[in-house]
Amino acid sequence: MSPVALIARDELRLMVRNRVAVIAFALLILLTLVAVASSWSHRQRIADLRARHQQAAADAFDAQPDRHPHRVVHYGSFIFRPLGPLAAFDPGVDAFTGNSMFLEGHRQNTANFGDVRQSSLLVRFGQLSPAFVLQVVAPLLLVFLGFAAVARERERGTLRVLMMQGVSRGQLVAGKLAALGVVAFAAATPALIGLTAIAAQPGAAPLPMLVLGIGYLAYLALWCVVILTVSALVPRSRDALLALIALWAVTTILVPRLAPDIAGQMHTLRNRLQTDVAIARDLRRMGDSHDPDDPHFAAFKAATLKRYGAARVEDLPVNYKGLLALEGERLTAALFDRYAAESFAVQARQNAVVAGASAISPAIALRSLSMAAAGTDLSGHRRFLEQAERYRYALVQRLNRMQAEGVAYADDTATDAGADRRKRVDAANWRAMPDFAFRPAGPGTLARAALPGLAVVLLWLTAAGALLAFATYRLGARR
Amino acid sequence: MQTIPDPPISIQSLTLSYGRAPVLDGLTLQVPAGSITALLGGNGAGKSTTLAALLGFERADGGTIAVCGIDPGSDPDAARRQMAYLPENVALYDHLSAIENADYLLALSGERHDRAAIAGALAAAGLQDQAWDRRLGGFSKGMRQKVAIAVALLRAVPVLLLDEPTSGLDPRATADFNALLLAVRARGTAVLMVTHDLLSAADVADRIAFLERGRVAHEVAADGPDRFDVRALHARFQIGGERRAA
Repeated sequence: MSPVALIARDELRLMVRNRVAVIAFALLILLTLVAVASSWSHRQRIADLRARHQQAAADAFDAQPDRHPHRVVHYGSFIFRPLGPLAAFDPGVDAFTGNSMFLEGHRQNTANFGDVRQSSLLVRFGQLSPAFVLQVVAPLLLVFLGFAAVARERERGTLRVLMMQGVSRGQLVAGKLAALGVVAFAAATPALIGLTAIAAQPGAAPLPMLVLGIGYLAYLALWCVVILTVSALVPRSRDALLALIALWAVTTILVPRLAPDIAGQMHTLRNRLQTDVAIARDLRRMGDSHDPDDPHFAAFKAATLKRYGAARVEDLPVNYKGLLALEGERLTAALFDRYAAESFAVQARQNAVVAGASAISPAIALRSLSMAAAGTDLSGHRRFLEQAERYRYALVQRLNRMQAEGVAYADDTATDAGADRRKRVDAANWRAMPDFAFRPAGPGTLARAALPGLAVVLLWLTAAGALLAFATYRLGARR
Repeated sequence: MQTIPDPPISIQSLTLSYGRAPVLDGLTLQVPAGSITALLGGNGAGKSTTLAALLGFERADGGTIAVCGIDPGSDPDAARRQMAYLPENVALYDHLSAIENADYLLALSGERHDRAAIAGALAAAGLQDQAWDRRLGGFSKGMRQKVAIAVALLRAVPVLLLDEPTSGLDPRATADFNALLLAVRARGTAVLMVTHDLLSAADVADRIAFLERGRVAHEVAADGPDRFDVRALHARFQIGGERRAA
């Protein structure tokens, strides 16, 4: 057996003979198993619930009686964002962003019913998921198991004893690193098994999971290297422990919590009330289709009459009210799209600030990698919002077109007793409307989105490796 | 087969200082194969620094130093493979038993010995068999020293360095240790022993070198014309001969 293997075996033997270490490791494994099971069950429950609600909303929409298309525009429809299989590993922003939307005419609603908004404040501290355990808890266990790996040898004088057996500094550190690496891998195994179980689910793609697996293993390897570096640089075990706990607290708790707040301060996002007020102001400026003196709609009316060669709207072959609804929706949708684009731009700037903080916290890079690969990051949410808006616009315009072509202007403006009946269109039309079907990002897109985070984690690993090489060189240094 | 240069320990005009304070100042010392040299001196004379330089933990400012022809300053790992070292305060692993400690350290140095051989060395070092499989957590300083002695004995190296080897041992254990040392010498090992114990040195050493201000001030050989006159040596150097001198 090589000296590296012998040192690794002895380090593991020390951990096994240390009851506290064994108990801590067992607790981590238990916690990971609980996280895997609860997260999986939570994901299944949510997915089932949303699928059920989606079906119920679709059924209710389809079950509408014969009615005026514009009433259907306002009847609206609920849609729900389905969860991908990897959400069981990392739920990402799902609990915060909301997962359902009410689609209606003239409005672009935001997503509602995020778990956090419906739960106690405790939920905001983070859901117990395999990703959370590996990002936050596993590094802490590695710190407790590895902080003294090298410092102990120096403190107790066994460092020189080892060197006297012809063991080089590199062999010593490599052996300690191998032992801690084995522990890290063992700690990650239950979560990786969970990930493999997810792979067997329909819709799960191996490529993002591969990036996810590499990312988490690189992150844990980074912690092993950092722990060994501090243990080799700091003269006493106690100091190494304090330094590593401080490092853990800052990089995995403090910075990831503070960075979004700082980003929010730097690039302020309008809240919903401010947005609604601004949109209402712009809508007023945009014009009123009911006002005959409104310049935009007066021009629209003139252009329409000219196009059809008619003198009055009553002479048009189509329902002018339907055309007005089509034009109004086009204008308001463009306005909503502009506000949404502005909001996304601010969010992108906030995300850039948070991503920049990964220079001092690799946990941020890992979190970004993890959510991107799982499809549960803000991009995934934005994808849902954009698809929802496209669907809403197409649905509303289809109904407006139905009003323009299927309801006569005379009937639409009539107020006699039978007018209401004549304005209605057949209920079969609602059933012919296509249902909303969310198209999640493909495996290649998810994997590509995770690459920047992976690159940062690997960069951290390289830098930490260089620092460990320096610490190893200095170990037991002579004058 | 590797040819060991003789003397295996060779120090010529060695100088070494801590900052501006010289610790070794032209030290010259040779330890031939199959011999025991005791290095005595007062506090600050440079004994421990000499050992540290031989072990490659301190780099000399001038002169030459060689262990089996290897400069420990430039290639400490290679030099250490030629040496066994028994420090004054033995550092071993508390989570391992005596047998496991020996097995681990010997395996690291590339030597494999079966349990019987290790047990034999532990017995030869004077450790009782009930203690062989006990973890070192509850061992006394003397018991730990015996484990370290067993490891040093089992390592078939041409050079053995000892730092105050009998400081934790009772008189009987000291006598046993000295007997072991003679056995080691008999198999051709060059032994350099740093000690304050002039009596013990006189019992086993072939030569005694007295260090003063970083250089050998006086050197006597057991078979030389002035032989070991402990009373006279103590009177001259005021080192460690109190019991017999009194």
